[in-house]
Amino acid sequence: MKSLSPTHLAIRYGFLVLMAGMIVVFSVLKPAFLSPQSAVFILQSVAITGILALGITATLVVDGFDLSIGAVATSAMMLSAYVMVIWEMGALTAVILCLLMGAAVGLINGLLIVKMRVPDLLATLGMMFLLVGLQRIPTQGNSISTGMVLADGRTATGTFAPEFLMLGRHRIDFILPDLVPLSVVVLVVIAVLTWVFLELTRHGRVMYAIGSNAQAAALAGINVAGYRVLAYVISGVMASLGGILLAARLGRGDVASGNNLLLDSVAAALIGFAVLGAAKPNAFGTAIGALFVGILLQGLTMLNAPYYTQDFIKGAVLVVALVFTFALSGRVGRARR
Amino acid sequence: MISRRTFAALVTSVALAPTLTLAQDAPAPFDKPGDVNIALVRYLSTGDFFQAYLSGVEKQAAALGVNLQVFDSRQDAALQADMVDQAIALGVDGIIIQHGLTESMKEAAQRAVDAGIKVVAFDVNVENPAIPQIEQSDRDLARLALEAAIADNGTEWVAGYVYVPGIAPLDRRDETWKAVKAANPGIQEVAMFGTLDNPIANSVANQARAVLSANPNIQVMFAPYDEFAKGVKIALDEAGMSGQVSIYSADISTADIALMREPGSAWKATAATNPAVVGEVSVRALAMLLASEDPGAQVIVPPTLITQKMLNDLDIKNMEELGAKLPAFAHADVAMTPWMKLPPR
Repeated sequence: MKSLSPTHLAIRYGFLVLMAGMIVVFSVLKPAFLSPQSAVFILQSVAITGILALGITATLVVDGFDLSIGAVATSAMMLSAYVMVIWEMGALTAVILCLLMGAAVGLINGLLIVKMRVPDLLATLGMMFLLVGLQRIPTQGNSISTGMVLADGRTATGTFAPEFLMLGRHRIDFILPDLVPLSVVVLVVIAVLTWVFLELTRHGRVMYAIGSNAQAAALAGINVAGYRVLAYVISGVMASLGGILLAARLGRGDVASGNNLLLDSVAAALIGFAVLGAAKPNAFGTAIGALFVGILLQGLTMLNAPYYTQDFIKGAVLVVALVFTFALSGRVGRARR
Repeated sequence: MISRRTFAALVTSVALAPTLTLAQDAPAPFDKPGDVNIALVRYLSTGDFFQAYLSGVEKQAAALGVNLQVFDSRQDAALQADMVDQAIALGVDGIIIQHGLTESMKEAAQRAVDAGIKVVAFDVNVENPAIPQIEQSDRDLARLALEAAIADNGTEWVAGYVYVPGIAPLDRRDETWKAVKAANPGIQEVAMFGTLDNPIANSVANQARAVLSANPNIQVMFAPYDEFAKGVKIALDEAGMSGQVSIYSADISTADIALMREPGSAWKATAATNPAVVGEVSVRALAMLLASEDPGAQVIVPPTLITQKMLNDLDIKNMEELGAKLPAFAHADVAMTPWMKLPPR
């Protein structure tokens, strides 16, 4: 801790200050912005992308990348709807099958990358297309909902189990009655678990070591291949969890590519690099990054900003965050070393 | 080509032969419908709407007894044009062009017309006076939904509006919204939002939450696309505001029916055209052309207003029951002639 120069301070706390400033500005322009309800729905709006972003963080840590998370999430949404509406099974079965599906996809991704030596971007890109197609095959491209007519002429009579819908809709009393949705609780729990895993356990540190220099890590006796597969399994499971929450919120199986989910969660994870001047993927930064985008978008929507300005501003924030990470922190980081 | 010539000769001979049959018997060539071949050349095919459209085409073709061949280009504009040429080469009598791009289809459609084939087009403008346009009227959809909103809420309310510019059907629905607002100064639009980020309902729900907390005085949400309405409904349920706000929308599906019928649902009414009926009308318009009758340059399939009350009163649970219990939704009285055979209901 030899210096706390202005640049250093700006890099460390710049994003948090920016976020605080943003909250102040929106609160002044729209007083409704500063209410517990508003805080909660911002959290709810980022819950799904936040969980996906934490998954992608796990793969970024081992210097990988998972393009298939959006498709895994929408496949999990279709699978849960299929299990409950067409097979008429319960909520628990649906959740377990979805998580298993996510883990299986992650495992295949990991094996393709580690064993088949397919570059990560290409392997997960292929998986993305595969899943986007696969999720439509059982229903011939139709969305799944109760009362739909099946291929054999029967009508689907199953419904979404109430316990399953609770995951997306139930609210817990916190300060005010019925305030915090379960999806937000899931996000917070996952964020804390990911943070503990990556920062405080040996496994997390090993994964960072693989990310910065895989060869050195291998020479140090680390099972590099195993940990890289693990990272994709984590990412797949998190993505399927996001898909479960999505299905619980929408209450039906919607045919969707999930590309927007992918892009938003990648943006959150990359913005996370800049938080606290970490200059590396990290769970806390990812959570803040997701929150940052959420606050910005909800605030702008409250001010009636049209959707294309929101995309523009999202992009601008990402570029600024990347400049923070690669230009400024990089320089200070090198000086520090 | 020989078969076409033989066929033409046959048609002429039949037309000249003295008719021994009753007046409303089908005119040539539908007196021998087994010899009539028509082709459906599709640009868009995945999704509930297009599935239902195809089933309408199939049913009406079966009712007439003609042979139907389906070409599916799966959103490949160049392939769709090739498929028209393929249909010409096969010597079909009529072609239905379903969606596509004006630029790629204009010349292919002209080649078909030049080959003596009768052509109709659904939701694509091929800029050809010989080709009737089948359309679902987006303006009427919006008008019906807004009339319902005015009937329920009077002419003075605070509105939120979901809209994404640049999408042709939404733009046409927007024209009606602007006109209705201009005609009713008591309607005050305080927020306009919307996105097509998929899953659309989820993204719109996030936006609608923000809009509702910024404008808690909104009474009516006009969401002229069912995915938008779904998103707004999720937001209203989450904010506990379903009792204060009413949603009016366009389009319908089985899932939408369930949402409209939930106890206390804010989704009060939707205006929709039955895609299966649009399919039937497409075939009927083509049949009229083949029988040398004129369906008109524009064949507009009128929409139906479907309210929450109707669905509850008639206990309608899915699209099939909607068609069965709401006759206006099951059949559109356009492109009709006395001799036209309709699918069994």
